[in-house]
Amino acid sequence: MSQDLVGEDFAKQFGLDAVPEGVRRVTELVASQNASTEEIAKIISQDKELTARVLRAANPRAEDECDYTITTVDAAVMRSGIGGAILVAMSGPLIRAIGKTFETMLARPIESVPARSLAAFTEEHIAAEVAFAGKAVGSVQIRLEKPTARLFGAAMVGLAPEDFENEDELTDVLGELANIIVGNFKSNLCDAGLTCKLSPPVIAKTNDSKLRSQEGGLAERIGFVSGDVHFFVDVCVNPWSQA
Amino acid sequence: MKILSVDDSKTIRMIVGRSLKNYDCVMCEAANGEEGLAVAASEMPDLIILDITMPVMDGVTMLTKLREDPALKSIPVVMLTAESGRENVAHIARLGVRDYLVKPFKEEQLIEKIGRIVPLVQKAAA
Repeated sequence: MSQDLVGEDFAKQFGLDAVPEGVRRVTELVASQNASTEEIAKIISQDKELTARVLRAANPRAEDECDYTITTVDAAVMRSGIGGAILVAMSGPLIRAIGKTFETMLARPIESVPARSLAAFTEEHIAAEVAFAGKAVGSVQIRLEKPTARLFGAAMVGLAPEDFENEDELTDVLGELANIIVGNFKSNLCDAGLTCKLSPPVIAKTNDSKLRSQEGGLAERIGFVSGDVHFFVDVCVNPWSQA
Repeated sequence: MKILSVDDSKTIRMIVGRSLKNYDCVMCEAANGEEGLAVAASEMPDLIILDITMPVMDGVTMLTKLREDPALKSIPVVMLTAESGRENVAHIARLGVRDYLVKPFKEEQLIEKIGRIVPLVQKAAA
Protein backbone atom coordinates (compact mmCIF):
# COMPACT_ATOMS: atom_id res chain seq x y z
CA MET A 1 0.00 0.00 0.00
CA SER A 2 1.28 3.45 -0.85
CA GLN A 3 2.54 5.59 2.01
CA ASP A 4 1.21 8.62 0.11
CA LEU A 5 -2.41 7.63 0.63
CA VAL A 6 -4.26 9.39 3.46
CA GLY A 7 -7.15 8.18 5.62
CA GLU A 8 -9.80 9.47 3.24
CA ASP A 9 -8.21 7.56 0.32
CA PHE A 10 -8.28 4.31 2.28
CA ALA A 11 -11.85 5.06 3.44
CA LYS A 12 -12.90 5.38 -0.23
CA GLN A 13 -11.00 2.23 -1.15
CA PHE A 14 -12.84 0.28 1.56
CA GLY A 15 -16.21 1.90 0.76
CA LEU A 16 -16.58 3.62 4.15
CA ASP A 17 -19.22 6.32 4.59
CA ALA A 18 -18.01 9.90 4.24
CA VAL A 19 -18.24 12.12 7.32
CA PRO A 20 -21.10 14.64 6.76
CA GLU A 21 -19.64 18.05 5.91
CA GLY A 22 -21.66 19.96 8.55
CA VAL A 23 -20.63 17.54 11.28
CA ARG A 24 -16.97 17.73 10.27
CA ARG A 25 -16.95 21.53 10.23
CA VAL A 26 -18.69 21.95 13.59
CA THR A 27 -16.48 19.37 15.30
CA GLU A 28 -13.34 20.93 13.82
CA LEU A 29 -14.46 24.31 15.06
CA VAL A 30 -14.93 22.85 18.53
CA ALA A 31 -11.50 21.25 18.35
CA SER A 32 -9.91 24.57 17.40
CA GLN A 33 -10.92 25.81 20.89
CA ASN A 34 -11.47 29.40 19.79
CA ALA A 35 -14.90 29.24 18.18
CA SER A 36 -17.04 32.38 18.31
CA THR A 37 -20.82 32.51 18.55
CA GLU A 38 -20.99 33.93 15.02
CA GLU A 39 -18.83 31.19 13.50
CA ILE A 40 -20.85 28.44 15.19
CA ALA A 41 -24.14 30.04 14.11
CA LYS A 42 -22.92 30.42 10.52
CA ILE A 43 -21.97 26.75 10.21
CA ILE A 44 -25.15 25.56 11.89
CA SER A 45 -27.26 27.75 9.56
CA GLN A 46 -25.80 25.92 6.56
CA ASP A 47 -27.07 22.57 7.79
CA LYS A 48 -30.83 22.04 7.80
CA GLU A 49 -30.84 19.27 10.40
CA LEU A 50 -28.50 21.09 12.79
CA THR A 51 -30.59 24.26 12.42
CA ALA A 52 -33.77 22.40 13.36
CA ARG A 53 -32.11 20.78 16.40
CA VAL A 54 -30.57 24.02 17.70
CA LEU A 55 -33.87 25.88 17.34
CA ARG A 56 -35.74 23.09 19.08
CA ALA A 57 -33.23 23.14 21.96
CA ALA A 58 -33.53 26.92 22.28
CA ASN A 59 -37.33 26.66 22.59
CA PRO A 60 -37.68 23.95 25.24
CA ARG A 61 -41.32 24.69 26.09
CA ALA A 62 -42.62 24.89 22.53
CA GLU A 63 -44.91 22.06 21.42
CA ASP A 64 -44.05 22.68 17.78
CA GLU A 65 -42.36 25.24 15.52
CA CYS A 66 -45.39 27.59 15.62
CA ASP A 67 -44.71 28.14 19.33
CA TYR A 68 -41.05 29.10 18.88
CA THR A 69 -40.14 32.47 20.42
CA ILE A 70 -36.54 32.14 19.24
CA THR A 71 -36.61 31.76 15.50
CA THR A 72 -33.07 32.41 14.25
CA VAL A 73 -29.92 30.36 14.70
CA ASP A 74 -27.99 33.44 15.90
CA ALA A 75 -30.52 34.03 18.69
CA ALA A 76 -30.64 30.31 19.51
CA VAL A 77 -26.85 30.11 19.84
CA MET A 78 -26.86 33.27 21.99
CA ARG A 79 -29.49 31.68 24.23
CA SER A 80 -27.92 28.21 24.48
CA GLY A 81 -24.39 29.55 24.73
CA ILE A 82 -21.58 28.21 22.57
CA GLY A 83 -21.34 25.08 24.70
CA GLY A 84 -25.03 24.26 24.38
CA ALA A 85 -25.04 24.82 20.63
CA ILE A 86 -21.94 22.70 20.21
CA LEU A 87 -23.44 19.86 22.22
CA VAL A 88 -26.60 19.93 20.14
CA ALA A 89 -24.50 19.97 16.97
CA MET A 90 -22.24 17.15 18.13
CA SER A 91 -25.11 14.95 19.19
CA GLY A 92 -26.47 15.08 15.61
CA PRO A 93 -24.01 12.44 14.37
CA LEU A 94 -24.64 10.40 17.50
CA ILE A 95 -28.37 10.32 16.74
CA ARG A 96 -27.61 9.25 13.17
CA ALA A 97 -25.25 6.54 14.42
CA ILE A 98 -27.92 5.23 16.81
CA GLY A 99 -30.57 5.23 14.08
CA LYS A 100 -28.27 3.40 11.65
CA THR A 101 -27.25 0.85 14.29
CA PHE A 102 -30.84 0.00 15.19
CA GLU A 103 -31.93 -0.21 11.57
CA THR A 104 -28.93 -2.27 10.42
CA MET A 105 -28.30 -4.61 13.34
CA LEU A 106 -31.78 -4.88 14.91
CA ALA A 107 -34.03 -4.18 11.89
CA ARG A 108 -35.90 -1.73 14.15
CA PRO A 109 -36.46 1.82 12.96
CA ILE A 110 -36.27 4.39 15.77
CA GLU A 111 -37.20 8.05 16.05
CA SER A 112 -35.41 10.67 18.11
CA VAL A 113 -37.74 12.84 20.22
CA PRO A 114 -37.20 15.41 22.98
CA ALA A 115 -36.46 13.51 26.19
CA ARG A 116 -38.96 15.58 28.16
CA SER A 117 -41.79 14.26 25.97
CA LEU A 118 -41.21 10.72 27.29
CA ALA A 119 -41.96 9.19 30.67
CA ALA A 120 -38.82 9.21 32.83
CA PHE A 121 -37.64 5.92 34.35
CA THR A 122 -38.52 6.05 38.04
CA GLU A 123 -37.86 2.37 38.78
CA GLU A 124 -34.79 0.21 38.31
CA HIS A 125 -33.52 0.23 34.75
CA ILE A 126 -30.34 -0.67 32.83
CA ALA A 127 -27.59 1.79 31.94
CA ALA A 128 -25.05 0.71 29.29
CA GLU A 129 -22.14 3.13 29.33
CA VAL A 130 -19.01 3.60 27.28
CA ALA A 131 -16.59 6.33 28.30
CA PHE A 132 -13.92 8.00 26.18
CA ALA A 133 -10.82 9.87 27.23
CA GLY A 134 -8.12 11.86 25.49
CA LYS A 135 -8.35 15.34 24.02
CA ALA A 136 -12.10 15.02 24.53
CA VAL A 137 -13.44 13.37 27.69
CA GLY A 138 -16.94 12.08 28.31
CA SER A 139 -19.31 9.18 28.05
CA VAL A 140 -22.45 7.96 26.36
CA GLN A 141 -25.06 6.06 28.35
CA ILE A 142 -27.97 4.11 26.91
CA ARG A 143 -30.78 3.88 29.49
CA LEU A 144 -33.54 1.38 28.97
CA GLU A 145 -35.99 -0.74 30.92
CA LYS A 146 -35.20 -4.44 31.17
CA PRO A 147 -38.04 -5.70 28.91
CA THR A 148 -36.90 -3.19 26.28
CA ALA A 149 -33.30 -4.37 26.66
CA ARG A 150 -34.43 -7.97 26.16
CA LEU A 151 -36.50 -6.98 23.12
CA PHE A 152 -33.49 -5.23 21.53
CA GLY A 153 -31.07 -8.00 22.52
CA ALA A 154 -33.30 -10.66 21.00
CA ALA A 155 -33.61 -8.62 17.78
CA MET A 156 -29.84 -8.30 17.52
CA VAL A 157 -29.17 -12.03 17.83
CA GLY A 158 -32.26 -13.05 15.85
CA LEU A 159 -34.27 -14.70 18.65
CA ALA A 160 -37.78 -14.23 20.00
CA PRO A 161 -37.74 -12.05 23.18
CA GLU A 162 -39.12 -14.94 25.27
CA ASP A 163 -36.16 -17.09 24.17
CA PHE A 164 -33.60 -14.48 25.14
CA GLU A 165 -33.21 -14.77 28.89
CA ASN A 166 -29.52 -15.33 29.52
CA GLU A 167 -28.17 -12.38 31.58
CA ASP A 168 -24.61 -12.75 30.25
CA GLU A 169 -25.82 -12.65 26.66
CA LEU A 170 -27.95 -9.59 27.43
CA THR A 171 -24.93 -7.86 28.95
CA ASP A 172 -22.81 -8.75 25.90
CA VAL A 173 -25.42 -7.48 23.42
CA LEU A 174 -25.92 -4.20 25.29
CA GLY A 175 -22.16 -3.73 25.60
CA GLU A 176 -21.64 -4.27 21.88
CA LEU A 177 -24.56 -1.99 21.02
CA ALA A 178 -23.00 0.75 23.16
CA ASN A 179 -19.57 0.10 21.65
CA ILE A 180 -20.83 0.43 18.08
CA ILE A 181 -22.73 3.64 18.81
CA VAL A 182 -19.98 5.32 20.82
CA GLY A 183 -17.29 4.03 18.42
CA ASN A 184 -18.91 6.00 15.60
CA PHE A 185 -19.19 9.12 17.79
CA LYS A 186 -15.56 8.78 18.89
CA SER A 187 -14.39 8.41 15.27
CA ASN A 188 -16.01 11.77 14.46
CA LEU A 189 -14.20 13.35 17.41
CA CYS A 190 -10.89 11.83 16.28
CA ASP A 191 -11.39 13.04 12.70
CA ALA A 192 -11.74 16.58 14.06
CA GLY A 193 -8.47 16.30 15.97
CA LEU A 194 -10.04 15.43 19.33
CA THR A 195 -8.24 12.09 19.57
CA CYS A 196 -9.55 9.85 22.32
CA LYS A 197 -9.83 6.20 23.28
CA LEU A 198 -12.82 4.17 24.42
CA SER A 199 -13.13 2.31 27.70
CA PRO A 200 -14.77 -1.13 27.82
CA PRO A 201 -18.57 -0.95 28.20
CA VAL A 202 -20.06 -1.03 31.69
CA ILE A 203 -23.57 -2.43 32.07
CA ALA A 204 -25.32 -1.71 35.36
CA LYS A 205 -28.75 -1.77 36.94
CA THR A 206 -29.65 1.58 38.50
CA ASN A 207 -32.48 3.53 40.10
CA ASP A 208 -30.71 6.82 39.51
CA SER A 209 -31.98 8.43 36.32
CA LYS A 210 -30.32 11.80 36.84
CA LEU A 211 -28.43 13.24 33.86
CA ARG A 212 -24.78 13.45 34.86
CA SER A 213 -22.44 16.00 33.37
CA GLN A 214 -18.71 15.86 32.78
CA GLU A 215 -16.80 18.37 34.89
CA GLY A 216 -16.33 21.52 32.83
CA GLY A 217 -18.32 19.95 30.00
CA LEU A 218 -21.81 19.61 28.62
CA ALA A 219 -24.58 17.05 28.90
CA GLU A 220 -27.71 16.26 26.92
CA ARG A 221 -30.39 13.59 27.19
CA ILE A 222 -31.95 12.43 23.93
CA GLY A 223 -35.15 10.41 23.80
CA PHE A 224 -35.86 7.62 21.31
CA VAL A 225 -39.06 5.81 20.42
CA SER A 226 -39.21 2.43 18.72
CA GLY A 227 -42.71 1.03 18.27
CA ASP A 228 -44.32 1.11 21.71
CA VAL A 229 -41.09 1.27 23.72
CA HIS A 230 -38.77 4.14 24.48
CA PHE A 231 -35.26 4.67 25.78
CA PHE A 232 -32.83 7.49 26.49
CA VAL A 233 -29.28 8.24 25.49
CA ASP A 234 -27.26 10.56 27.74
CA VAL A 235 -24.21 12.16 26.21
CA CYS A 236 -21.76 14.15 28.26
CA VAL A 237 -18.61 15.52 26.74
CA ASN A 238 -15.87 17.98 27.58
CA PRO A 239 -14.26 18.83 24.25
CA TRP A 240 -11.91 21.26 25.95
CA SER A 241 -10.42 18.89 28.52
CA GLN A 242 -6.89 19.77 27.43
CA ALA A 243 -7.56 23.44 26.64
CA MET B 1 -12.43 -22.98 4.05
CA LYS B 2 -11.54 -21.95 7.59
CA ILE B 3 -12.44 -18.50 8.95
CA LEU B 4 -11.31 -17.06 12.28
CA SER B 5 -13.46 -14.40 13.98
CA VAL B 6 -11.60 -12.38 16.62
CA ASP B 7 -13.93 -10.17 18.66
CA ASP B 8 -14.47 -9.71 22.39
CA SER B 9 -18.22 -9.69 21.79
CA LYS B 10 -19.80 -13.12 21.68
CA THR B 11 -22.75 -11.46 19.92
CA ILE B 12 -20.57 -10.32 17.01
CA ARG B 13 -18.83 -13.71 16.75
CA MET B 14 -22.29 -15.29 16.67
CA ILE B 15 -23.50 -12.88 13.95
CA VAL B 16 -20.37 -13.59 11.86
CA GLY B 17 -20.99 -17.33 12.27
CA ARG B 18 -24.65 -16.91 11.35
CA SER B 19 -23.70 -14.91 8.24
CA LEU B 20 -21.58 -17.82 7.03
CA LYS B 21 -23.82 -20.70 8.09
CA ASN B 22 -25.01 -21.36 4.54
CA TYR B 23 -21.47 -21.58 3.22
CA ASP B 24 -19.09 -24.48 3.30
CA CYS B 25 -16.68 -23.18 5.91
CA VAL B 26 -15.44 -23.96 9.40
CA MET B 27 -15.59 -21.16 11.97
CA CYS B 28 -12.96 -20.61 14.66
CA GLU B 29 -13.29 -17.98 17.38
CA ALA B 30 -11.11 -15.92 19.70
CA ALA B 31 -12.10 -13.23 22.23
CA ASN B 32 -8.95 -11.08 22.03
CA GLY B 33 -5.75 -10.60 20.04
CA GLU B 34 -3.65 -12.91 22.18
CA GLU B 35 -6.13 -15.76 21.77
CA GLY B 36 -6.46 -14.81 18.12
CA LEU B 37 -2.72 -15.28 17.48
CA ALA B 38 -2.77 -18.64 19.24
CA VAL B 39 -5.80 -19.88 17.28
CA ALA B 40 -4.34 -18.53 14.02
CA ALA B 41 -1.09 -20.47 14.66
CA SER B 42 -2.89 -23.71 15.51
CA GLU B 43 -5.70 -23.58 12.95
CA MET B 44 -4.03 -21.72 10.06
CA PRO B 45 -7.29 -20.09 8.87
CA ASP B 46 -7.79 -18.93 5.28
CA LEU B 47 -9.11 -15.57 6.52
CA ILE B 48 -9.27 -13.60 9.78
CA ILE B 49 -12.10 -11.20 10.67
CA LEU B 50 -10.66 -8.86 13.28
CA ASP B 51 -12.07 -6.30 15.73
CA ILE B 52 -9.91 -3.47 17.08
CA THR B 53 -10.99 -2.57 20.63
CA MET B 54 -10.54 -5.69 22.75
CA PRO B 55 -9.14 -6.42 26.20
CA VAL B 56 -5.79 -8.21 26.76
CA MET B 57 -4.52 -7.51 23.23
CA ASP B 58 -6.23 -5.18 20.76
CA GLY B 59 -6.68 -5.85 17.07
CA VAL B 60 -3.97 -3.46 15.91
CA THR B 61 -1.36 -5.21 18.07
CA MET B 62 -2.55 -8.60 16.86
CA LEU B 63 -2.35 -7.46 13.24
CA THR B 64 1.17 -6.10 13.78
CA LYS B 65 2.34 -9.38 15.34
CA LEU B 66 0.60 -11.39 12.62
CA ARG B 67 2.47 -9.50 9.92
CA GLU B 68 5.78 -10.04 11.73
CA ASP B 69 5.28 -13.81 11.89
CA PRO B 70 6.60 -15.57 8.76
CA ALA B 71 4.13 -18.43 9.18
CA LEU B 72 1.07 -16.19 9.58
CA LYS B 73 1.83 -13.01 7.70
CA SER B 74 0.13 -14.04 4.46
CA ILE B 75 -3.27 -14.75 6.05
CA PRO B 76 -5.70 -12.13 4.69
CA VAL B 77 -7.42 -9.97 7.31
CA VAL B 78 -10.73 -8.09 7.14
CA MET B 79 -11.23 -5.52 9.90
CA LEU B 80 -14.72 -5.48 11.44
CA THR B 81 -14.89 -2.59 13.87
CA ALA B 82 -16.78 0.52 14.97
CA GLU B 83 -13.54 2.48 14.53
CA SER B 84 -13.73 4.63 11.41
CA GLY B 85 -11.47 7.57 12.34
CA ARG B 86 -9.50 8.27 9.18
CA GLU B 87 -6.05 8.31 10.79
CA ASN B 88 -6.67 4.94 12.40
CA VAL B 89 -8.04 3.52 9.16
CA ALA B 90 -4.90 4.68 7.33
CA HIS B 91 -2.60 3.26 10.03
CA ILE B 92 -4.34 -0.11 9.95
CA ALA B 93 -4.45 -0.20 6.13
CA ARG B 94 -0.69 0.34 6.03
CA LEU B 95 -0.17 -2.61 8.36
CA GLY B 96 -1.80 -4.73 5.68
CA VAL B 97 -5.50 -5.55 5.59
CA ARG B 98 -7.49 -6.78 2.62
CA ASP B 99 -10.69 -4.95 3.54
CA TYR B 100 -12.40 -2.92 6.24
CA LEU B 101 -16.02 -3.03 7.38
CA VAL B 102 -17.44 -0.56 9.88
CA LYS B 103 -20.05 -1.65 12.45
CA PRO B 104 -23.02 -1.46 12.24
CA PHE B 105 -22.97 -3.80 9.26
CA LYS B 106 -25.35 -5.95 7.27
CA GLU B 107 -24.56 -9.65 7.00
CA GLU B 108 -24.68 -9.36 3.19
CA GLN B 109 -21.93 -6.73 3.30
CA LEU B 110 -19.70 -9.05 5.28
CA ILE B 111 -20.35 -11.95 2.91
CA GLU B 112 -19.61 -9.74 -0.09
CA LYS B 113 -16.28 -8.61 1.35
CA ILE B 114 -15.24 -12.13 2.39
CA GLY B 115 -16.32 -13.52 -0.99
CA ARG B 116 -13.98 -11.11 -2.78
CA ILE B 117 -11.00 -12.58 -0.91
CA VAL B 118 -11.71 -16.30 -0.53
CA PRO B 119 -14.03 -18.55 -2.54
CA LEU B 120 -17.30 -19.01 -0.65
CA VAL B 121 -19.20 -22.10 -1.71
CA GLN B 122 -22.81 -22.51 -0.67
CA LYS B 123 -23.61 -25.70 1.23
CA ALA B 124 -25.55 -28.25 -0.73
CA ALA B 125 -29.25 -28.36 0.27
CA ALA B 126 -29.92 -31.22 2.71
